[in-house]
Amino acid sequence: MSTIRVRSPASYWLAFPAATWMLGVVVVPIVLLVWVSFWGGRAFSTSSPLTLDNYTKFFANPTYIKLIGSTVVHTVTLMAVTGVLGYCIAYFLVVKVKSPRWRLLLFLAFIVPFWTSTLIRAIAWVPFLGVNGVINQTLMFVGATQSPIEAFLYSRAGITMAQVSLYTMLAAGPVVYMLNSIPPQLREAAMTLKAAPFTVFRRIIFPLTLPGVVIGQVLVFLNVMSDFATVATIGGNKHALLSNLVMLFYEGSQIRAASVVAVMLMICMLVGVVVALRVVDIRRLGA
Amino acid sequence: MRALDYRTRSRLTAWVLGILTVSFLAYQWLPIFTLGVLSFAGPTGGTTFPMNGTSLHWYQEVWRATVMNDFKPPLLRSTLLALACSATTVVLSVMAAQAMRGQFRGHGWFFYLLLLGIMAPGILVGFGFAIMMRLMGVELSWDTTTFLTHVSWTLPFGFLTMLAIFNRFDKKLEEAALTLGASRIVAFRRVTFPLILPGVIGAGLFGFSLSYDEFPRSMFTTGPDMTLPLAVMAQLDRQLTPEIYAVGTTTTFFSLIAVTMCTFAFWAMRRQVRGRNS
Amino acid sequence: MDSLAHDPPQSVAVQGLARPQLDLELRGIRKRFGGFTAVDGVSLKVEKGQFVCLLGPSGCGKTTTLRCIAGLEEPDDGGILIGGKEVTRDPPWQRDIAMMFQDFALFPHMTVAKQVGFGLEMLKKPKAEIARRVQHVLKSFEILELAERKPASLSGGQRQRVALARAMITEPRILLLDEPIGALDYSLRETVMLELKLLQQRTGISFIWVTHDQNEAFSLGDLVVVMNHARIEQQGTPEDILQRPSTAFVAGFVQGNNVFHGRVVDHSAGLLRVETAAGTFMVPSIGKAPDLGSEVSFSVRAERLTDAVTDQHPNRLSVKCTTVEYFGAVRRHIFQRRDGELLKYDQFGAQSQRIAVGQTAVLGWQVEDSVLHVGVGG
Repeated sequence: MSTIRVRSPASYWLAFPAATWMLGVVVVPIVLLVWVSFWGGRAFSTSSPLTLDNYTKFFANPTYIKLIGSTVVHTVTLMAVTGVLGYCIAYFLVVKVKSPRWRLLLFLAFIVPFWTSTLIRAIAWVPFLGVNGVINQTLMFVGATQSPIEAFLYSRAGITMAQVSLYTMLAAGPVVYMLNSIPPQLREAAMTLKAAPFTVFRRIIFPLTLPGVVIGQVLVFLNVMSDFATVATIGGNKHALLSNLVMLFYEGSQIRAASVVAVMLMICMLVGVVVALRVVDIRRLGA
Repeated sequence: MRALDYRTRSRLTAWVLGILTVSFLAYQWLPIFTLGVLSFAGPTGGTTFPMNGTSLHWYQEVWRATVMNDFKPPLLRSTLLALACSATTVVLSVMAAQAMRGQFRGHGWFFYLLLLGIMAPGILVGFGFAIMMRLMGVELSWDTTTFLTHVSWTLPFGFLTMLAIFNRFDKKLEEAALTLGASRIVAFRRVTFPLILPGVIGAGLFGFSLSYDEFPRSMFTTGPDMTLPLAVMAQLDRQLTPEIYAVGTTTTFFSLIAVTMCTFAFWAMRRQVRGRNS
Repeated sequence: MDSLAHDPPQSVAVQGLARPQLDLELRGIRKRFGGFTAVDGVSLKVEKGQFVCLLGPSGCGKTTTLRCIAGLEEPDDGGILIGGKEVTRDPPWQRDIAMMFQDFALFPHMTVAKQVGFGLEMLKKPKAEIARRVQHVLKSFEILELAERKPASLSGGQRQRVALARAMITEPRILLLDEPIGALDYSLRETVMLELKLLQQRTGISFIWVTHDQNEAFSLGDLVVVMNHARIEQQGTPEDILQRPSTAFVAGFVQGNNVFHGRVVDHSAGLLRVETAAGTFMVPSIGKAPDLGSEVSFSVRAERLTDAVTDQHPNRLSVKCTTVEYFGAVRRHIFQRRDGELLKYDQFGAQSQRIAVGQTAVLGWQVEDSVLHVGVGG
């Protein structure tokens, strides 16, 4: 018994506004994108004939294919770096920090930047990476290099560095949650069953945190794939990933081409999420 | 490593991980911090060190509007939009979470539908929505179309927050109210709502800050008037000046204040609930 | 500090004196958490195949002592010997022990078969042997049909068996149990208690069982160790502790004792005259008689009182009955004493009730039924 009767009409009415909103603003537009990507002709109208021309044009261009490849590689790199880094940080915060006050403080210190604008945090990397930027000035001051390293700003490395600082906590968060939900007795029980600490981690702790790892990776994957702002800010015009291509076509009023790229992006993301869900299932069976 | 005592190994691991964690903390904070420092650069200061003195010059530049880069209207628009978004998010997410408690048929699908809002990237939603508006002949404007897309982004976050709060919520308190003669609506208003208030504030906070900082959805749907993130990006495209740093620092500062206030409100509210027992 | 100490605490270095038939020996274990002393000088000797119960209220240090034996906590002082071998600095995975936790601590991601075999896997036993032994253990605990299930789908009783199987399969010298039946339904507890007692007798493994429940401790333990405030108040057989409590705390903690505090006003011929706020009573002295005027406490068991007072019962009080409780085998009367405490008087349930509520009666007991508390606790 509660303030809402189970399966009552009231719950449908309460759910209606949110459901309609999401359907109208998210589902329909995305379906629309797929439809538009098949539009032939020139006019922007719903009566356009359907054709595969847009897709053949896209795949005919080797630059675009390479772009999909480099986007995937870049994303996977980010996933690996943030995954490992995030796990280490999560493990340290939950397992190694004994005092609850320090744990809370550190946790807040990590979370607080998330309440500020991601855009600003990305922009903040520009003075860092440039030829006269903080990193180069420090390196030259310390004497590590004689002339500034140009390879930071406007490069894949620079974008990666910025995105690592932006998205590692996305990878760490779910792991923190899963680590927290492991009762300390499990670790102790394993130790009394003759398991040394590393074995305890490998056989008990890590498998139990795997769902968190996967969720974190999915979050990083989705965010990096669709992040055109950071790439544009740090990469300048020299570097682009799939999401920037969408912007390029859109700004050039090539709606059909833009929607093709958007659909490509969608497919990549769907594949990623499906693979992730499979991984979690398989692991659950295998333990 | 095997030659080392297990205690030493444990401490070594803790140190390595600790250094990694603290280094990353610096890595995360240093850019923002630098941004803040550089925003106080002198009038002749460039966009990086040396600063050529310290001054409030660039803040004054922000305040003094020029034709080319006036940040005040975008600031106003972003704030209003965020407030509207916050209010809408609160109302809709409380309704949606309460609906979930009713476990209506299809509530599993409903959950995934809302989750879709988080998973669908802004670029796709914004783009698709813009096309949809164009087909429907609706003009893009910051206070209509952008508002709609912003809520589609913030609502799922508020929804998840409320679900988590309701999960922790003890149904028996409602039952007690109902057995004491309260109607469902009254029980909700007098018993449930005060107890879920921290979650409500959290949802509101999500609604505000996520909308305020939102970039891709705004990009496609605002029409001629820009929101603050768009204005910043536009200025960045033209030229990087410490003025942008000043804007960035101010925005960050206000976000931090808002978060601190809300955390404090949370903490005070929890003490009020717990304090009476202890 | 044990009041009935067997030996004075020995230094850890004198290992040669450790008798090999002791499964466990604790020597002056001390453990502090910040400013709080959880275990303060605990010494214990556990014979081979003995069932030991650590009994005491919350916070008395019994769980911390257990965790020190397991190696989950490291004592600040003192020594731990398992099977004669010094293990004080050894980690849990190197000790010849197994442990059962209060909430069972089953691994959620492993099937029952995998879990039970886990300890053997860690000992690097060959796969065929592990499979065989797992089958055998599952069968003997009657959970063979659960082999491929995961813990989430099991009932409380089933989980308990899995936890037990998992611990026992490694054939440890000592099994440590931390309030193992606290999480079970009341009706299940009696059955499980009996099963565990029989299991212990059959396998000859020493059990160290931590509980706050007296019924468990006295029905299961060969040796009961009563702890309070980080110290051992008394250790002995259940009969020792119930019939001859050595401190006021033990007397008050275990059921069925009437505790008196007073001053010695006279002693002669091995008898003490003790003056208390409830009256003056005769108490047999134990060992060296305490000085005149010193504070002592003693107790008398509720069933040792009688309302048919004769010359044989020089210890007497006149008290008013406030409640009568009937437990079937026992009828317990509660009286108000002059010093404000309650007096318990137990009678066989089969006898008819002779004293009514509100009635004042004279109760008495024999001198030799007064038990002087010789320990330093309480």
